[in-house]
Amino acid sequence: MRTLYDIYQIFPHTDCGYCGSSSCLTMLRRYCIGKSNLSDCIYFKSGELPTPKITYSPPAIKVPHNQKISYIRPCPSEPSKVTIEINILPPVHSPYGYFDMITADTIFQHQITNLKISPSLGIVRLESETGDVMVFSEGKVVIRRGADERSAFWEISRALRLLWATVNRKPRAESAQ
Amino acid sequence: MLDVNKVREDFPFLKSGRIYLDSTATSLTPEPVLEKVLEYYRECRANVGRGIYNAAQAATFAYENARVEVAKLINAKPEEIIFVRNATEAINLVASGLKFHEGDKIVTTILEHHSNYIPWLRVKNTKKLELSVVLSDMEGHLSPSDFAPHIDGHTRLVAVTQTSNVLGVRPPIKEIAKLAHDEGALVLVDGAQSVPHKKVDVKELDCDFLTFSGHKMCGPTGVGALYIKEGLQELIEPLCIGGGSIEDVGLDYFRLRTGPSKYEAGTPPIAEAIGMGAAAKYLLNIGMENIEDHERNLTRRMLQGLINTDGITIFGPKDADKRAGIISFNLKGFNPHDVAVALDTSSGVMVRSGHHCALPLHKHILKSPNGTVRASVYLYNTNEDVDVFLETLQEISRSLA
Ligand SMILES: Cc1ncc(COP(=O)(O)O)c(C=O)c1O
Ligand code: SF4
Repeated sequence: MRTLYDIYQIFPHTDCGYCGSSSCLTMLRRYCIGKSNLSDCIYFKSGELPTPKITYSPPAIKVPHNQKISYIRPCPSEPSKVTIEINILPPVHSPYGYFDMITADTIFQHQITNLKISPSLGIVRLESETGDVMVFSEGKVVIRRGADERSAFWEISRALRLLWATVNRKPRAESAQ
Repeated sequence: MLDVNKVREDFPFLKSGRIYLDSTATSLTPEPVLEKVLEYYRECRANVGRGIYNAAQAATFAYENARVEVAKLINAKPEEIIFVRNATEAINLVASGLKFHEGDKIVTTILEHHSNYIPWLRVKNTKKLELSVVLSDMEGHLSPSDFAPHIDGHTRLVAVTQTSNVLGVRPPIKEIAKLAHDEGALVLVDGAQSVPHKKVDVKELDCDFLTFSGHKMCGPTGVGALYIKEGLQELIEPLCIGGGSIEDVGLDYFRLRTGPSKYEAGTPPIAEAIGMGAAAKYLLNIGMENIEDHERNLTRRMLQGLINTDGITIFGPKDADKRAGIISFNLKGFNPHDVAVALDTSSGVMVRSGHHCALPLHKHILKSPNGTVRASVYLYNTNEDVDVFLETLQEISRSLA
């Protein structure tokens, strides 16, 4: 199954803006939610690049993943902050799972340096000012030191999206083969 | 020598391959103890010290026999052993039962578990006493000379742990007891972390009270023991009185019994006490020296591995001969709870995180108010347990820190 990242790899990557979007990625995103046509892109329109064949309908689920909250409580070491544990269930029907295109460009523009991954333990860790998130391969996600409930959930989603993007990203050379 | 593979066969909890490194919090229970507990429920389920029929006699015998086994473990007489709920209750019993005079002094240490700390804070306030807290060095060492300035003719009691549940250090009880007794003070030793792991001899220590819990020494939960040195029971009022603890009752008077039953009002935790007796016997069969040696080897291995792991701060001495099999540490850039979750979720290694009921120690000596991660070993742990723990920790440090 091709991921949206695979499709993105076939885009021109010039970010020329001809299509009316600020970047190729924004263009793909708009396309995915039905707000643009591939033929808006100068490269596809002119035939300079083959138009990718995408049979894609936007994912039916709004939330990036199905989640079950195990607990929400004050941080044991800093009671003014919150700690949350959720369990994410395996992505449903959509081949693109819980990846939310809306933040895809953020992912590419920001360096993913603070995402730390241990494939052998199946743990990903993302530290930030507003909370430390750990994602476990079995589906458990824990955040500590969340500023409040809302921002803690936001941090969790951010970590999951970053993770999803990282896991699905293919080196360019590989996808060109 | 302890045959760890043989020992492990006794512990059903280990069959799933889990790696249990939190025996400081509570220990696992072996089959012989479980069997003893069930045997009581199956064969002689009756109350103790009351009925005249056979089953009641058998129950009383089993209960009193447990007292004999527990006494043997610490080289005490059975009459010196009182069954309570846990170490905490034992300490509270002494704190509230001992007669104090205004201005009396109590001495305790910064190493203490809350259970051997806040009962003294409370009596200090309610009975207008003075409380001095002996401070240790950064590694938790306490020497007799640290105690000397705190103990004088006004000191009523010195309450000190035999093994710190955070640092594993072992204050010099014998010397402290001598200092205290020279000034006419009593000595309470919190043996919650020592009695399960090493040979403890109350005669040799010369302590007046020793407190410990069944659940930390392979016994059931819900039972503990208080040792009161012969002749000192007169000084201590019971926490509860009622059925089972009286000599005589009239319309407007009552007279308490002497001996352990003075403190064991109401139906005691019979099955649990029998289980604790079986646990004492189980440990003695294996040999306390063997258990101590086994734990020292594991501790040495663990310390070495931790020293070789980047970003680890070990609290307490780095020398396995200077500590029990309890090691607290932190990993740079990690909240201790996250380390514990990562160890558990990825490798099934169970360790404790937090302040381990010793906040004063974390705040004032370790300067680590967020707590620490604590790994501890017992007779059923193996080199492989320690290695999996260390490898996982090293990977966490390498990839996630
Ligand atoms: C040194 C020490 N004292 C006392 C206690 C209290 O034991 P319990 O909870 O069984 O009463 C503990 C338990 O962790 C301990 O480690
Ligand atoms: S026109 Fe094509 S190349 Fe230019 S930004 Fe849009 S999608 Fe990218």
